[in-house]
Amino acid sequence: MTLASLTKPWEAFSYGFLDASAKREIRRKMLKAIAVPGCQMPYASREVPIARGWGTGGLQVTLTLIRPDTSVKVIDQGADDSVNAASIRRFLARVSGARETLDTLDATILQSRHRIPEEKLGPDQILVLQVPNPEPLRPVEPNMSVARQMHGDADYSRLWLTLYEQIVRSGRIMQGAAYPSLVNGRHVMTPSPIPRWDVPKLHMAQHLTFLSAGREKRLYAVPPFTRVEPLVFSDVPYKVEDHAGLTCHRSGVKGYFMNEIPQDDGTSAHELSDSHFGVKAIRRAEGEAVATGETWYQNGEFRP
Amino acid sequence: MAYVATRGGERAIEQSERLYRAELGPIDAGRVDEIRRALPWLIDRVMGEASLYEPDLAALALAQSGGDLYEAVLLLRAWRTTQPRLAIAETVTQDSLFTHRRISAAFKDIPGGQVLGPTLDYSHRLLATGVLEGRPFVPPAVEPAARPAPARQPSLAAWQKAAGLVADVPAVAVAPDDIPDLTREPLLFPAKRAHTLQSLARADTGGVLTLGYSAMRGYGNAHPTVNELRLAEAEVRVRHPRGTVFSAGRVKVSQAEVTTKGKSDKLELGFCATLGWNEVKVIAGATLDLNAPGAPKNSPVNEEFFLYHTEPVEASGFCIHFKLPHYVTFQSSLDALRDANAKKAAPAMPASQKQEEPA
Repeated sequence: MTLASLTKPWEAFSYGFLDASAKREIRRKMLKAIAVPGCQMPYASREVPIARGWGTGGLQVTLTLIRPDTSVKVIDQGADDSVNAASIRRFLARVSGARETLDTLDATILQSRHRIPEEKLGPDQILVLQVPNPEPLRPVEPNMSVARQMHGDADYSRLWLTLYEQIVRSGRIMQGAAYPSLVNGRHVMTPSPIPRWDVPKLHMAQHLTFLSAGREKRLYAVPPFTRVEPLVFSDVPYKVEDHAGLTCHRSGVKGYFMNEIPQDDGTSAHELSDSHFGVKAIRRAEGEAVATGETWYQNGEFRP
Repeated sequence: MAYVATRGGERAIEQSERLYRAELGPIDAGRVDEIRRALPWLIDRVMGEASLYEPDLAALALAQSGGDLYEAVLLLRAWRTTQPRLAIAETVTQDSLFTHRRISAAFKDIPGGQVLGPTLDYSHRLLATGVLEGRPFVPPAVEPAARPAPARQPSLAAWQKAAGLVADVPAVAVAPDDIPDLTREPLLFPAKRAHTLQSLARADTGGVLTLGYSAMRGYGNAHPTVNELRLAEAEVRVRHPRGTVFSAGRVKVSQAEVTTKGKSDKLELGFCATLGWNEVKVIAGATLDLNAPGAPKNSPVNEEFFLYHTEPVEASGFCIHFKLPHYVTFQSSLDALRDANAKKAAPAMPASQKQEEPA
């Protein structure tokens, strides 16, 4: 036996950066996560060459899934050209040889920080959501081991109570993004801080969604055709952001989630949050033949 | 075209990185070598937090990050995690350590003796400003002791155990491959003992100090007495595929054992060890360990609390992530806030129109 037979020729890093043992562990946890929708699976969460809190959880899942024939799209707050999205997309392409894309229709893996694209995802697409805090119970129970027990007992009473208190104090549920949602009728998950606008897109969706928190070392999944129900009271309907009537000042498109751009005169302009969807709309208006997919919302109304 | 093409961001990040690196200038082997030789205590601290004992790589990480410690630790951790595991070293025991410094605050003298070793503890902290005026500081030569201290020292806790002062927990034999490895498994609570000690060993020095100090000041139940503090070198003994056990070299290690009179009639011990010489970290870490048993949930000396919050890569990464855009999340909160305010501003419905409470 020689040292050479125990190891392999030196390479700067493995295919897809993560070594085989790391990928194997993540794959196992991903399969478990699919098997128990919405349940947080602890994983080792290796260090990757970007800082914790900057998408390392999503990155580890994407690196495990990625192949040379993957077409990868990375979004940060809806935008492909956001600096961190650009950085992650470049890294993914560099270590895997995968093709970079900005078009939702063209992507096989979409890694996203806090938005789900406006165009519907299909059964052959995987959405990887970056998660800063995987624990929906954190606001009511900061201790992770206690929260884990509460999930085990399906004890979500304190979560319901805070929602009720918000209605009493403010006249409505004040939860902004990261709206706690019941998955498959059993586990409450945080859908990551996607806006309320995007949560219905996960319900009975055709695509598979992974949610991965690298810093907190937890991943969970919403498999295709799984119920995702925001926690609401039967007499207080779920309310998405009031964006249905807003018009994008760049593309003229109306009825989607918008970014608010404060103006000098004290008013606000709005632009499409899904940046490439906006680019496509402009190109189409200019006469280019651009393929646009069916959207989850039509005329500002959710149409599953 | 009204919409900005999507390449602007990529150019911006490339140029901002260039700007940062331009400030640091070219890095060559000479600079790395100088850092390694001039800053051994910093190298030790970085190696401990990275949990990677490689002084050259630690010096390179410091050179590459320009001395930003969290960046340096992340560089080393990201490199470390890709490396194969060739062997698991044999257990290191206290009495096998090649000891440079070993002190106890519990007794005036202890079996094996107090060995002061290298320390600035009793130095007068005066800046050698002459260096800046062209008069180099040349440290005076060390005079050898008449009688050299023994290189290997027994553990004080062994004496205390023999004297019945400390409960003797029998060592459980664990196969090397079965030792839990924090870097390959998630940290869950109640934590495995190995995970706790590994986690403290790679914890952020500043973070451990902050929480340890809070325990020392009174946010913990136990006042630590330094039972034994050691700076030493440990042999890394590994098994060759042919079966021979051999030393692959020595690594610098530090360890602290602090003690307090427990609720039982025995002394209780808190322990912390790390790669490299880092006294503040091991004393503070051992104090946290001492205070952890039975600590209330969500107190700074609760194991889950201090282990989660002293992880340097996680803590620093999350802190700087707040620089990332958050406008989608913010917009979502703004929407709820505006709607709630609009509801408050709207005139209240006349009583007659109010819906009856369903029976």
